[in-house]
Amino acid sequence: VQDLAGHALDAAVAAGAGYADARVVTRRAQHVATKNGEVDSVSDSETEGIGVRVLVDGAWGFAGDPRLSAEGACDAALRAVAFARASASRARTRVELAPIPPAAGDYAAIGRRDPVEVPLEEKIALCLRAEEGMRRPEVKITEANVRAMREERVFRSSEGASVTQRFVECGAGIDALAVSDDGRVQNRSYPSAHGGSSAQTGWEFVEGLGLDREAPRVGEEAAALLSAPACPSGVTTIVVDAEQMVLQVHESVGHPTELDRVYGTEAAYAGTSFLKPGDLGALRYGSEHMNITADPTTSLGLGTFGWDDEGSPARRQPVVEGGVLTGYLASRETSALIGRELGGSMRADSWSRMPLVRMTNLHLEPGAGSLEDLLADVDDGLYLSTNKSWSIDDKRLNFQFGTQVAWEIKKGKLGRMLRDPTYMGVTPEFWGRLDAIAGPDEWTMFGLTNCGKGQPGQHAHVSHGTSPARFRDVQVGVRS
Amino acid sequence: VSRALELAEQAVAAAQGDEADVSVHVESSGFARYAASAVHQPTLISDETVTLRVVRDGRVGCATTNRTDDEGLAAAARHAAEAADSSPVDPSFAGLQEPAPVPEVGGYDAATAALTPEDQAEAAAEAIAAVPDFGLYGYYTSGVTEMAVASTTGLAVSQSMTDVSVLALAASGDASGYAEATSWRASDLDPAAVAREAAEKAARTRGAGQIEPQTFRAVLEPYAISELLFYFAFTSLNSLALLEGRSYLSGRLGEKLFDESFTLRDDGLDPETYPKAFDLEGVPKQPVLIVEQGVARDVVWDRRTAKQAGEGRVSTGHALAPPGQAFGPIPFNLSMSGGSAASVDELAEVVGDGIYVTRLHYLGVVDPREGIITGMTRDGTFRIEGGKVTTPVVNLRFTTSFPALAAGLLGLTEERTLVNRSDFYDERYPFGTLVPAVATDSFTVVGTGSGPGL
Repeated sequence: VQDLAGHALDAAVAAGAGYADARVVTRRAQHVATKNGEVDSVSDSETEGIGVRVLVDGAWGFAGDPRLSAEGACDAALRAVAFARASASRARTRVELAPIPPAAGDYAAIGRRDPVEVPLEEKIALCLRAEEGMRRPEVKITEANVRAMREERVFRSSEGASVTQRFVECGAGIDALAVSDDGRVQNRSYPSAHGGSSAQTGWEFVEGLGLDREAPRVGEEAAALLSAPACPSGVTTIVVDAEQMVLQVHESVGHPTELDRVYGTEAAYAGTSFLKPGDLGALRYGSEHMNITADPTTSLGLGTFGWDDEGSPARRQPVVEGGVLTGYLASRETSALIGRELGGSMRADSWSRMPLVRMTNLHLEPGAGSLEDLLADVDDGLYLSTNKSWSIDDKRLNFQFGTQVAWEIKKGKLGRMLRDPTYMGVTPEFWGRLDAIAGPDEWTMFGLTNCGKGQPGQHAHVSHGTSPARFRDVQVGVRS
Repeated sequence: VSRALELAEQAVAAAQGDEADVSVHVESSGFARYAASAVHQPTLISDETVTLRVVRDGRVGCATTNRTDDEGLAAAARHAAEAADSSPVDPSFAGLQEPAPVPEVGGYDAATAALTPEDQAEAAAEAIAAVPDFGLYGYYTSGVTEMAVASTTGLAVSQSMTDVSVLALAASGDASGYAEATSWRASDLDPAAVAREAAEKAARTRGAGQIEPQTFRAVLEPYAISELLFYFAFTSLNSLALLEGRSYLSGRLGEKLFDESFTLRDDGLDPETYPKAFDLEGVPKQPVLIVEQGVARDVVWDRRTAKQAGEGRVSTGHALAPPGQAFGPIPFNLSMSGGSAASVDELAEVVGDGIYVTRLHYLGVVDPREGIITGMTRDGTFRIEGGKVTTPVVNLRFTTSFPALAAGLLGLTEERTLVNRSDFYDERYPFGTLVPAVATDSFTVVGTGSGPGL
């Protein structure tokens, strides 16, 4: 495999590339889904190929080829060079890369039990057992799923980088959908909406989620939501659970701090950012309680690696400190543009896509105390749990998020359950209303596999660690 | 025999089971993505993906691979057999499609298939050169997709499709405008004209003002109504959602839910869309009348949901490949009937006072059962005053009911536009919606955002 990458680099340089890198990726993934006590799907997928990225006269080119042969590697390299050359002749600026030492070494995920090797029967049985616990007369649909993935990625560059990385992921989730006789629909999920939560480790992560344990609560809450009153409209204090805080961090901090968005390269699709290069070290992003860290070294994180997909080493970097913007997620190209060494966030979702600036593991650092402490200081408010809907504008300012459930907070205690809660805000104003974050004991990391960006589109796997957090004076209960 | 069908038949021969079907996807595409008037994410993709489903003693398992040599196909066959053997008997499995004639459809253009990376870069350059006063962001892309389905029942169908799209966001710090075009024939597209449309729109967005949130009368360009329609379709025009009570149409088929001017079909045979001869189970595409003059008539079906529904239901040819069937069938060829308005200006006259929306951003379904969708407007939002499109306004947060929007239609343009709906994740599969611009009396804005521009 190292030789294949070498063939590609040799071909690219011989054809005129000033810089070239090659990634050889082999991946095997499994997904098991059950629904209403039956197997909905059992799938096992393999994909492999080589992706070659080149700079010719300061212009990018990229080509992917599924053939892991010298012929496939050379074809990909020559096609990438041809595409770059066709663009270079019209380019007004040259891409420059911030210098980095050539990467060398190996990385391997740590885990006890390879999740791909866990028998499918065991995966199916786990799903069916978890489903069983959610059953209630009102719950018309129960679903469970598990996923497992193993990937090897070899990276080499014309600057001498040569690394081999082995990744292992697994995850699981359960959902209950309750339907009333008059057609109203409500759902609850665990440990997270949108397919559950994943981690980069062995099968022990899935076993530790306790799907069986949580299933009865999930079913009961879905059923109870059918008769719960609607979340009222108004301005109030909200306490947001760790799962919904993941979405809040992801959408309103993660994406706007991607430096390619700041420079406009995602403008046509995912959008830009309200942040500007000169905001670094100066812009007040939120209250003094807000500390955000990008950390591709976090144990179990889906964004954990030895080196990113252009060979920059993993390192922990602050993004917001004491409410002030102090970092960006960046590539070698955008680091050169901003004149700061910020690289290490370039990731591609497969061999057939160019790396983009992506989140790795982006965490909201914990504060102090417990969830109960956060609630205790709320006279009248809402506790919001588990993402249901999300939307944010192209500059990552104006957002509206919905959660599966809310509970009233009255004089520091949780009260009635409420259905269909939503809240909205404008990013720096909202984070400015952050007045408390629960402590390390409440800090939980969730792994998501559905972060979309790029054209052609790419799904990134990212993790976020968060604790429940409290925000004052927030608009809730948005209605159409 | 196409490469895709050849692979499909090889994979069927390699399958280890009582029965098997195989869908194959072969892609060759190029993507000249540009930003700030320079190509920055140029991507060439070639790939072959084989999805194999086997049935063993009533148990069903699937495997997917892009290793298409004998060893790779044998491994996929082994994985599918293991998946089946690990599963209990699947009582919902509807069996494999029997051979049936598939319709002759268009959707393939040899000239488009022959486009080279140099051609794609040249087309991007034409778009960029047409807009000297703004930065241009977007892409020019073209591709060839071969699909095939074969099975142990003797089914063997294949289709080659081409697609080409140009997308243009013309933008500066304080202005932005948007346009796009798509077709299965590259000769239908004029990248420079699309870029100029975006630039002309952008020039009108400077100095955007605030507006008080409320339910507006509105004109929605095809780009905007297409996206709302597809989000509604994904959650409500899908028979699985219908059967599970999650669809807006659950329990409402046969009722007059929308304005009489709202007629909606899904028609894979329509050459004005991206034509498709069969779905990913090999079922021939059937045209489906979904809404007839405001009355909800039907949704789209695959073999599994048709079996679940019973009562003589059959698949309409809208299945995804087997592992994706958990989402239910999807209408990939939606077309809304047009109206009588000669232009969007005529629609603005009908609206009188309201807003004009070019494009939407980042939609989210707040309540699928009620068809409530949230998102932002962007890259060309204006006031309509006295029947004229007048001054620009900032981007607007809407949380609106699609059914209310369609019940409140005030007019539709006669002309319809095919709007690409693929974001090109995973394997390339061209699809879009054929829609007019519309005027409605119900578009609910709940907040305001930032101004146009980067």
